[in-house]
Amino acid sequence: MFRPVKLTRLTIQVPEDRISAVMAILGDLRLLHLIRVEETHLGRLGYVAHIDTSLLEHYDSLLARANRLLRDLGPAGPSSGIRKVPQPDKAVFRLEEDLARIETEALEPLERKKKAKNAISEHESLIARLQLLEPAKIDLDRLHDLRYVTWRAGLIPEENLNKLEQSLVDTHHTLIPVGRKEQRVVLLAMSLKKDEEALLGALKSAFWDTLELPPEIHGTIGKALDQLSAELEHLKTELAGLDTEGAELTQKHGTRLKRLREEILLARQLLKAQAEFGQIDHTYLLTGWIPVALFEELKKRILKATSGKALVDQVDPKDIKEIRSGILKIPILFNNPMLIRPFERLTTLYGTPSYEEVEPTVFLAVSFLLLFGMMFGDVGHGAILCGIGYYVFRKMYRYIDYGIILMECGVSSMIFGLLYGSIFGLEDLIPALWMHPLEEINRFMVMSAFLGIGVISLGLILNLINVIRQRSYGELLSTSGLAGALLYWLGVGLVARYLLSGGLSPFEVIFAKVAAGALIILMILQRPVRAVLAQRRTKEKWRHLPPGLGGTILESFIEVLDDLLRYLANTVSFVRVAAFALTHAGLFIAVFSLADMVQNVHGQGLFYWITIILGNIVIIALEGIVVSIQTLRLEYYEFFSKFFRGGGKPFQPLLEEKL
Amino acid sequence: MIFAAAGYAYPNAKVRALRSRRLTAQDRHFLLEARDFSSFLAYLVTTTYGRVLPDFEEEKTDPGVLERRLARSLMEDYAKVTRSLRGKRQQELVLALFSRFEAENLKVLLRAMFSGLEKQAVAHLLYPLGKLSALPWDGLWACNNPAEIADLLIRNPFGQALKHALPQFNVQGRLFPLEMALDLSCFQRLKQAISGLRSRSDKKAAKRILGPYVDILNISWVIRLKIHYGLSHEEIVNYSLPGGELLTLSHLHRLARAENISLFLEQMPRSLQKEVQEVREWEDFYPYLETWFLRLLARFFMGPPFNIGIEIAFLLEKEMELTSLITLLEAKAQGLSPGKTVKKLPWQFYEVAHV
Repeated sequence: MFRPVKLTRLTIQVPEDRISAVMAILGDLRLLHLIRVEETHLGRLGYVAHIDTSLLEHYDSLLARANRLLRDLGPAGPSSGIRKVPQPDKAVFRLEEDLARIETEALEPLERKKKAKNAISEHESLIARLQLLEPAKIDLDRLHDLRYVTWRAGLIPEENLNKLEQSLVDTHHTLIPVGRKEQRVVLLAMSLKKDEEALLGALKSAFWDTLELPPEIHGTIGKALDQLSAELEHLKTELAGLDTEGAELTQKHGTRLKRLREEILLARQLLKAQAEFGQIDHTYLLTGWIPVALFEELKKRILKATSGKALVDQVDPKDIKEIRSGILKIPILFNNPMLIRPFERLTTLYGTPSYEEVEPTVFLAVSFLLLFGMMFGDVGHGAILCGIGYYVFRKMYRYIDYGIILMECGVSSMIFGLLYGSIFGLEDLIPALWMHPLEEINRFMVMSAFLGIGVISLGLILNLINVIRQRSYGELLSTSGLAGALLYWLGVGLVARYLLSGGLSPFEVIFAKVAAGALIILMILQRPVRAVLAQRRTKEKWRHLPPGLGGTILESFIEVLDDLLRYLANTVSFVRVAAFALTHAGLFIAVFSLADMVQNVHGQGLFYWITIILGNIVIIALEGIVVSIQTLRLEYYEFFSKFFRGGGKPFQPLLEEKL
Repeated sequence: MIFAAAGYAYPNAKVRALRSRRLTAQDRHFLLEARDFSSFLAYLVTTTYGRVLPDFEEEKTDPGVLERRLARSLMEDYAKVTRSLRGKRQQELVLALFSRFEAENLKVLLRAMFSGLEKQAVAHLLYPLGKLSALPWDGLWACNNPAEIADLLIRNPFGQALKHALPQFNVQGRLFPLEMALDLSCFQRLKQAISGLRSRSDKKAAKRILGPYVDILNISWVIRLKIHYGLSHEEIVNYSLPGGELLTLSHLHRLARAENISLFLEQMPRSLQKEVQEVREWEDFYPYLETWFLRLLARFFMGPPFNIGIEIAFLLEKEMELTSLITLLEAKAQGLSPGKTVKKLPWQFYEVAHV
């Protein structure tokens, strides 16, 4: 919980003909952080593995076919997940067969359904066109039989009708307006066949939109419409039948198809991952990070799958030169229980801790919930937050972590609600187990400040642990190290002593002055002294003092002053916890005052309760957002800044992409 | 009368102030007589158009770029005149006139889309419309085909016109129907804006200016469609602009059928015949008609002042000055002599152009 999962560096050498089996095992395991071969000496020597492109293309084609079937059959919901990771070069045959079997059964009805839909669409469009011409009551057969006259049916913008008439004044023609549609006139234009070119030219320039009528339409428009309507009904009935057939196919093959698709995606990912490997002749080389606890199991499975032909080795990170010198970093795999795990998102938002640092998520989680609860303490509001969090947890898979955080914040709010004795702002329903914030403002503010002292002190302690782990002992004398921590605690102790006893003894004052002075001098001089020592180790020993020492001392002085002031500011910053808790209570007063005013006018009826409910919604929304932001601010700026350096590398499991 | 005076006192004062910034006789003289393109530009910078010209290096000056830069002056005047008018209907009339430049930019957009060019490649061909144009230009440039443009502009007359022209665009496979639809919609909007004016004097003034303007445009279009595009007379009539005063559809049809210049001249309305009787080449028609129109516009500044005619007359006069300037710019860029250049200009531009 306080440290990431212990990892070991794994190297696997496997013959080319067994790589697929090994890939399947690695895919099954998932917890392997592959190191790209380019980052190793093999990559620099050019020994990069090649992907089997023809196999990959085959999988791409399978995926396209599966997607098409899924789109047409439309099975809803996610897949139930596959149990066994496929071996890409072997699985392709089974996947091809399974998919082909489904296609044999499904493609033909789907094709018929598509044709039926197209036919319906065409019929509907033709009916719409004929309906525009219906008022003309024309017989299409007679029109088609005309020997000396040519005709066209279409639409033109209303404003162009006069111009069209004028343009055809030299031509024997007739223009019959039949109806109107959306600022356009439905027109039947006729002329002698010898003047067809002139007619068409005129129509073209009048922005003519032809109403296409297929030659197979016969008889009067009315009769054609009746026939088409009957055909349309028949087609719709046919489509309904095909829909039923489609639903049956979906029921029969939907689940299997979704799983097939997942397998195809997984196999593709495994194939693509091969690009990360090294290859020398007919041997593949993989290297990566894996949890120490999984190594033996992995080795056993690989040796079994490859009949002992693979070589599996591990190396402790301490023995890797690049790790010791800091060139390569060990990735971080978080190791937190379920209730704390969602807070990893908030940790990584600030940065990824390095492997040697204390993993701060559990501290973040506890302090976050404590601070949130203090600022948002109300049983009713906490319950609502919990409810919202639960809804998100159950219904919104992508935001499941935030749902859990919301639920936990809700519970914390409820606990503090009990401590404050507040349910939806009403403080007379239950007794306060601790205090009513509005009645003991000063005490609450002092409590908040001490809470801040506690959080900051924790940060300082964690920093000391990190310094020791990282062996950067020089930091101990800095303001963020032991010297700074001691000075801070000295100050806190004096203030506490003063508040509790009302005064300080002369010895205490002298001791404080001497201790503080010594610590401050140490902090100021630690950098210049280190600079001098560093210079002594260089070749320029003839120089007694490094160049720019005066500047270094001045900088150090200012830095120490700045850091000490920051300690004060950081501590005082926690008073906002009290401020926001009081704000929360104050907003309730405002809502109730408003409700009372409404009550005076309308009585204690509907409007009164609407005011209360709306007011509570506004408080939850507004205060919820503000308190979250303030809590995060306190965590990141006041707490994390004391110890969290970050710069770590996150663990990227194989096949991390969501399917 | 009092209300009209109150309504137009400020706009007219504004227009007269703007009108005072026209090119002077001296300017026109020196521009016409400029030895070469660089001398032309050197003098142009000293005129009122100088403030819209870029800081340029002579060898990199492109006449096409300069033309649109010069147009900024006109666009600014449109904005000033629109702002000075109080009535919404009067503003709509000016905006309808302005919409022609929006239509030009839409045509550039369509041509760029058709040719697969990005906006940057054709930016120099766009009119600097400024804030006066309310069209969603960013969205229009993001469209992939004319149908999308029509959908985006569906609440605008341009959108309706494009939608009606799309079937012919799909059949013919060329932009011509869409471009014609855009042009026609501007003048349809202009016609509606004139009908929408409440004041009789405004309506009368607007018709007296815009009617003849549409007539001269129709004549030049007949010539262009007939001679350059080779369209049939049936097509030419359908592409004519609405709202003309002297030319009816029948007139235009007869003009479209005329097979040579003398027959064409015979079909012109009597009031225009004497203006163009000396024309011998097709390209000479427009300068003569422009001369006639500019005379008509000048009369407006001497007549009753409290109507929309002053504003419209000024904007059209300015537009024609700009057209003449651009003609001159192109002539200088091609190295044409002043003698050859004057044939392309209206009489008012060069008649008093002497010092």
